[in-house]
Amino acid sequence: MTADLTGPVSPAIPRSARTGPAAASITLAQVSKRFGDNEVLHGVDLTVRPGEFVALVGPSGAGKSTLLRLLNGGHLPTAGTVEVLGRNPAACSRRDLRELRTRIGFVFQQFGLVGRLTAMENVLMGALGSLAMPRYGIMTYPRRLRDQAVENLERVGLLEQRFQRCDTLSGGQQQRVAIARMLMQQAELVLADEPVASLDPAASISVLQTLKKLSAEDGFTVVCSLHQVDLALAVSDRVVAVRGGQFIMDTPTAATTEQDIRAVYAEHGSR
Amino acid sequence: MLATPTRPDARSAPPGTAPRPPRIPAATWAIPLFYLGVTLFGMWWIDIRPGAIAAGLGDIARLLDRMVPPTTGPVPSLLTLVVETLWIAIAGTGIAAILSVPLSAAAASTYTGPRWVQWLCRALIVVTRAVPSLVFAIIFVRIFGLGPLAGALAVSVHSIGMIGKMMTDVFEEQSPQPREAIAATGATRVQAFFATTMTRALPQVSSFVLYRLDINIRASAVLGLVGAGGIGVALQTAIGSLDYRRAAGIIIVIIVLLMVLELVSFLVQRSLAEHSDTSTASQVFVPGKDAATPGWSTARGARALGVAAAVALFLAALSTLSIPFDRLARAGENAGALLSGFVPPVFTMDIAYGIFESVLMALTATSFGVVIGLIIAVLSTDHLVRARALGGALRAAVVVIRGVPDIIYALVFVAALGLGPFAGFLALAISCSALAAKFFTDALQNIDPAPLRALEAVGAGRLQAFVSGVWPQFVPSFIGNSLFTSDLALRESAVLGIVGAGGIGFLLQESVASVDYQTTAGILIGLVAVVVALEQLARWARRKVI
Repeated sequence: MTADLTGPVSPAIPRSARTGPAAASITLAQVSKRFGDNEVLHGVDLTVRPGEFVALVGPSGAGKSTLLRLLNGGHLPTAGTVEVLGRNPAACSRRDLRELRTRIGFVFQQFGLVGRLTAMENVLMGALGSLAMPRYGIMTYPRRLRDQAVENLERVGLLEQRFQRCDTLSGGQQQRVAIARMLMQQAELVLADEPVASLDPAASISVLQTLKKLSAEDGFTVVCSLHQVDLALAVSDRVVAVRGGQFIMDTPTAATTEQDIRAVYAEHGSR
Repeated sequence: MLATPTRPDARSAPPGTAPRPPRIPAATWAIPLFYLGVTLFGMWWIDIRPGAIAAGLGDIARLLDRMVPPTTGPVPSLLTLVVETLWIAIAGTGIAAILSVPLSAAAASTYTGPRWVQWLCRALIVVTRAVPSLVFAIIFVRIFGLGPLAGALAVSVHSIGMIGKMMTDVFEEQSPQPREAIAATGATRVQAFFATTMTRALPQVSSFVLYRLDINIRASAVLGLVGAGGIGVALQTAIGSLDYRRAAGIIIVIIVLLMVLELVSFLVQRSLAEHSDTSTASQVFVPGKDAATPGWSTARGARALGVAAAVALFLAALSTLSIPFDRLARAGENAGALLSGFVPPVFTMDIAYGIFESVLMALTATSFGVVIGLIIAVLSTDHLVRARALGGALRAAVVVIRGVPDIIYALVFVAALGLGPFAGFLALAISCSALAAKFFTDALQNIDPAPLRALEAVGAGRLQAFVSGVWPQFVPSFIGNSLFTSDLALRESAVLGIVGAGGIGFLLQESVASVDYQTTAGILIGLVAVVVALEQLARWARRKVI
């Protein structure tokens, strides 16, 4: 096993070192985003330090998904500046944006897997950004990436299922495959858009704990939107609440109570 | 229909009476009425009378008499042509399958590149679909000279439209999440497309390409009629020299070839279907020599062998096309002359008349075909008519009749009855009957028999039970399939003129032969416009009814 080349980056040498040890993973300054007449985010500011696990909470339609897509260049801000891993996605060429995205992992609510392919093939797709040509089939990927895929599947507890079709896996297992796929990128920042919204409570806890553990081991930063208050408190270092396109709370998790977060939803419901 | 007291509606039920039954969509009665009108007019125009048909049958019998006993002539040369026919179809289908991928990716609504590229690709798919392969064959023979290259290109260009349309639909139906997920990892658009979109489409695409190959072999068998290689060349020579015994022998060879391939295609499709069952088993690969290497199982071996065989066949087919490299320069000149000759296109009354006659032949033949097909379908559906032997015999007859390309029927009828749309109409009516019978039988087999049984149980007669228990369920697929049949008939009727069986085909071939490319362009534009317009009309009607 060529861990020095292919394995996850040791927490002792965080990849964030590339952009300087003091650089923030994310800096948002007065960022607004408008779709037609609908302003989804109004002048938000945010700084996320390397290695932090930030839970983004707030009612549906509050702007959480938009915020995450602003961070990986999926959307561009209408006003303000976004700086992610030392780069401004809005100023990137298409090639630069792709290069930036190879450093940002994204975990989706619906997993985004190809159901008729095996877990291994889906995981390998996470490395496509580092390769030049399209690939089809496990054996078209270089040996070191295949070894890395096996290792990542083992880390999410799915080594035995590596040759199993993804559409025959449970929801929780599918999300783990998606996480293993994300690990292939050796990302410095991981954005997770309601990653457990489609899962049952037991699978939700397990998936988030896996993400938390991997982030601690590999040292990547996580911004994770969540609806479950208890889960947000259980895994995050910091809770940021969004409502009506603005941040209405930004506190360390240790200083946040369940009531604080429930209030974010309750006030929304009563409006 | 809801009526408010302030806005009384004449169609709404007066207070106190039972609610009105749901309104039948206008298309349900307007389409049959339209076809009835066109058919009556077509019968007058083409001069279809029982007397004419009876007299025609006598002529056909006399021709058949001159065909007996059939002879094939020298067998080795015929076999060479049979093999050439297969190569043309395989090469054409393979080229089309490959070219359809980028074309469909760009034509799909999920494409994010420049708009003009998308519209260009969509237009290419529409035009290549609308123009039959025999028409492309006439044009390519002019550009590349006689031989299988023109044939393979003709088959491939028309198939691009067919496969491209299907692929575009498959791409558009997919959920965007996997593609977005892979794009978010920094993969290029092409990588994300192959990893997610194409991978998910593969089962449907490969099964459609196989189905298309089946159709293309049928098409390749007659390309020789315009000099584009294959066994049709021998048929054309035999008919041209009035050697009807040899023509009959060649027709029999074509029918046997198509029957055998029908069987092969059925077996391949079935094994593919079985394979798709095994691949839904949770473990796709067995463990290999190490954790990162999948092992070889019988299923994986069979899959790899199948792919290798398909690639080898395609490459072999390409190598047999004997591309005349020395003449390619002239092909460029020919293509240039053809394309520059297209401008400005000429539209004459003759073109309008020819297209009108083609449409009339197609729609009239569809009406006859739908009625005959419905009778055959009802008689061959087990749970409607309990006559297994009759049903089996009818189904077999339908397979045999469908196996013969329309233009071969047209050739025979022209030889027996003389030139003109009557021969074309008869040829189309036969193929439409078989096609409609196949579609209707499939639809009737899938109908829920419970209402039929329930009506029979309360003492309803056979016909009553059919009208009340089966017909209402069957109407949408009846209309949908009838429209589809007329769509196919229209494309076929446009080429029957090549053998003198009426319609625009004759003028088309003449215009190319006499280097009157402006007329060729006018015909092509007219043809595409009519086919696309009728296709849109059919799509609208299908949406209204189904």
